Amino acid sequence: MAQTLKEGDVLVIPCSGIGKVHGLIGREATYMVTDEMASENTATLCLALLVKGDPEAVDAVKSHHCITIDGCAKACAQKNVEISGGRVAKAIQVAEAFRNFRGAKPGTATALTEDGWKITQAIADSITCEAANLRAQESAAL
Amino acid sequence: MSTNTAKVGIISCSGEALPEGTISRLAARRVLELLRPDRTVTLCLPLFLAGNEGERNFARTHPTITIDGCGKQCAKWGTEKHSGPVSVSLVVPEILKSTNGGCHCSTRALSEDDTEAVWAVAERIAAEVDSVLASTAPAVAENAGSDTGPGHCACSSPLPGGKLTIGSKTVEIPGLPLIFAQFAEKATITNSDQGAALLDLVKIYHPIPAKEQEAYKDALLAEYQKFVGMQAAK
Repeated sequence: MAQTLKEGDVLVIPCSGIGKVHGLIGREATYMVTDEMASENTATLCLALLVKGDPEAVDAVKSHHCITIDGCAKACAQKNVEISGGRVAKAIQVAEAFRNFRGAKPGTATALTEDGWKITQAIADSITCEAANLRAQESAAL
Repeated sequence: MSTNTAKVGIISCSGEALPEGTISRLAARRVLELLRPDRTVTLCLPLFLAGNEGERNFARTHPTITIDGCGKQCAKWGTEKHSGPVSVSLVVPEILKSTNGGCHCSTRALSEDDTEAVWAVAERIAAEVDSVLASTAPAVAENAGSDTGPGHCACSSPLPGGKLTIGSKTVEIPGLPLIFAQFAEKATITNSDQGAALLDLVKIYHPIPAKEQEAYKDALLAEYQKFVGMQAAK
């Protein structure tokens, strides 16, 4: 199931990691972008639905730029978008963002601390920037 | 399926595009951390679907409960395709029997509706865990507390518990601070009734022998007052 999707929208797809805080950070960063920071031109979809092969979800990743956010090195979001024939314009690893927050205690897979929300915000800023760049490139190409 | 059924695998769809996906995720976490921490593990659905043999092997050899946020039932579909029939499949809207009008995708904006929905779904999952384990009781008794072999998912550890002194012994109650937090959120009870209400709440998660209930009540009330004091100091 995808949120309402328009032509030119960028899809932000986090992994659905449920065991570690990294999965929650990726998920919350996605909502920051799609609900608040760039709600007019980004959307998300259910990764499980894409993996299941739902035709609507597969079409969506094939016809829109995708930014994936993964909580661990297994990169389920990135790999599954690629397997479905999608265009991964940017693959983000949550662990990379931790480098700028040494010693941070981000919380758990259930709830983020203040540190966790700061890391989430940093990732959301990066996604918003990347989405704007992708849209600008697309406009310039027309 | 082998007889090693000490733990039940909880697989939530965690669907990102709808509030019910978040409810499924949070309810699964609550069961893992608080309601049945010693009896459940979780499996990452996309990793499972992407072909991780450890996760698939766990689901082949243990009972599984899937929780889906919508009728497409991706969690159930994936589990059955890759590992075999699930023991129980739950669908969030069917449990809640209502629309998700007041619910949210982000945990940053959780409302009272979200909180109630998560509790309702979590309690239903916990009841199904009990039911599944009861149907495989002998194997559970043999394997209780043991690690679960190669398919064991180590990423979901139970929450640290709270300790109570009951007579001459110390008991640990998983997730006691979370139980206190839940109690504090709903507390409209007068001081004289707090001990009994706390006891009722803790009994949902922790077996308390009838003859020890008075001692538990006093110990819980004392610990709760410490908890409230610490929260106020923060």
